[in-house]
Amino acid sequence: MRTRILARVDVLQVVDLLRQQGYEVIAPFAGRGRDTFFDTVTNANRADIQIHLPNPYYPPKRYVLPHIERLLKVQRMNGGWQIEPTVAAPKRAIFGLRSCDVAGIWHLDRFYLGRDFRDSYYEQRRQNLFLVNVVCTDTERDISDDCFCVCADTGPAARDHFDLQLMDLDDGEFMAVAGTPAGEALFASPIFRKGTAAHVERRHAVLSEVRKRFKTTTSWFSATVRYVSQGRILDKTWEEIGNRCLECGGCTYVCPACTCFTVSDRQVGPDEIERVRIWDACALSGFTRMAGGHNPRRAVHDRRNRRFFRKLAHYFIQRELSVACMGCGRCAAVCHGDIGMPSVVEMIRRATAAEDKLEPVKP
Amino acid sequence: MNAAVDNIYLPKLAVLDRVVDEIHEVRTFYWHFEDAEEQRKFRRFRPGQFAQVSLFGTGEFPASLPPSPTEDETFFTVKRVGSCSAALHALRPGDKFAVRGPYGNGFPMEDYRGQNLVFVAGGIGLIPLRSCIIYALAHRDQYRRIQVFYGAKSPRDLMYLPNLREWEQGAGVEFYPTVDRGDADWKGNVGVVGSLFKKPGVEVPVADTVAFVCGPPVMFRFVIKDLQALGFTDRQIVSTLERYMKCGVGKCGHCCIGMAYVCVDGPVFTCEQIKQLGEDI
Repeated sequence: MRTRILARVDVLQVVDLLRQQGYEVIAPFAGRGRDTFFDTVTNANRADIQIHLPNPYYPPKRYVLPHIERLLKVQRMNGGWQIEPTVAAPKRAIFGLRSCDVAGIWHLDRFYLGRDFRDSYYEQRRQNLFLVNVVCTDTERDISDDCFCVCADTGPAARDHFDLQLMDLDDGEFMAVAGTPAGEALFASPIFRKGTAAHVERRHAVLSEVRKRFKTTTSWFSATVRYVSQGRILDKTWEEIGNRCLECGGCTYVCPACTCFTVSDRQVGPDEIERVRIWDACALSGFTRMAGGHNPRRAVHDRRNRRFFRKLAHYFIQRELSVACMGCGRCAAVCHGDIGMPSVVEMIRRATAAEDKLEPVKP
Repeated sequence: MNAAVDNIYLPKLAVLDRVVDEIHEVRTFYWHFEDAEEQRKFRRFRPGQFAQVSLFGTGEFPASLPPSPTEDETFFTVKRVGSCSAALHALRPGDKFAVRGPYGNGFPMEDYRGQNLVFVAGGIGLIPLRSCIIYALAHRDQYRRIQVFYGAKSPRDLMYLPNLREWEQGAGVEFYPTVDRGDADWKGNVGVVGSLFKKPGVEVPVADTVAFVCGPPVMFRFVIKDLQALGFTDRQIVSTLERYMKCGVGKCGHCCIGMAYVCVDGPVFTCEQIKQLGEDI
């Protein structure tokens, strides 16, 4: 991959370059307290863009899969209907995307553009999206105690699937890595200069320091994947997890890898209807309820089982080439019942190991 | 929208031709696509596939395809249970709605050539199986014995009466209807559908046989047991599953059972596959 060096004071010029190229640039900003959020960059707020900050809870997946997205506009006409597909796919760049979220979008790419059907709404948004990854290097501001990208193997520095990666080398310089020809084209700007071997050494030194910062160093993913795939998880473990679930759906809404949606028609005028899709959550009891009332998945622990099976079962990993968890830690941060991914993985591992059915020596 | 990209959520306009009352709250809706090319493309469906039916302003729902591709007409048979099916029931001939599909894997009827086919339907479970039965009868020389076991609550709950009469009169099929409760005019069998297998005069072939089972969950569980008692293996039993679906194309996640997205991996599964899904159906 092609790399360049730029001065810290010039980093936000990357935003300016992209805006000059006609991109609507999305960047992270700080609100009050812990609150951080992605927003569109304007001349007024450009100076407030944060390079180092806690990752916003509301994930940037909404730029490829909006929380509410109109699919069709339908108008009643001469006793029939006129159906018009609508797609809003502006030319957008996300600046300051964390490595876990880069992996999240890559995961969504394989899901929405893979298998038998390609989702054209997703595809057009994605084609117009430029990703600027900023590596989490500030051990205080970037990384929280909930982060576990090192276990999910998605961070702290993304290896690919970004257009441009920026990394703070902590000495007044940033390293820029181009992931695509579009990213490399930015190197024509005079703010970028060639680096030296010392810069590469500096990158590796920074990364190895950053890796030590993560609290959850072993998330036991691999053992849990095996237990989930083999159906070895005890019912009482799912019940325990289900008992702690408040059925708020928060974990799915903040998850960069959750894909489920519902579709709804809404009346927007006397003869006009919009068909929209809206993020949906498998934690909610109506998720599988059929017309007539039959609901194959009734108990809350069935639904928790569902979510973690979908994320961790070997079958899906084979199909999508990764665990459907990016290690961003958002679910752990928002869950009131402390059943975010790290806790669940640990609960499963402890309970299943304690009653190991395959232990050859029985009491 | 970019014309080069196929929009998987775009339904095509359809016109309702006529409506036939089947049984209480169940009607058959004959329709065709407004666009002849769409109609031609759609008619390549396989038995066991389904379509997404749009009632604008209410929503979209998955519906089995009861016609066989060997028949000329396209139709749905739908029970009124929720808001979408109620909206469909409210339509009159000439009204317009929209359809997309066909979706799902369907029954691999070609793979069953040279075998006996045993159909076991309970209630409106006959809707998806009708397609296979008509298809098999249209290719009668490719299959050996064809048996249809059909259970309904009462004689008034028997649907597709013109087809039932044909099957009763022979037409290359051994037809065994039953009802849970008879009435004054009912001369046939009374009892659950599984009880027919052991009746005098009924002989269900087991070797080189595929059993199609479709019906309510309770009926399904008992019929599986009855078939296993006859010697059927899980691999010889196929069924079609029903799930709440929003997209029909493997994206929305509502129909997931264990490792399968019913809409693209199913809805047709063997009993063996159903047991391996990793979740109750």
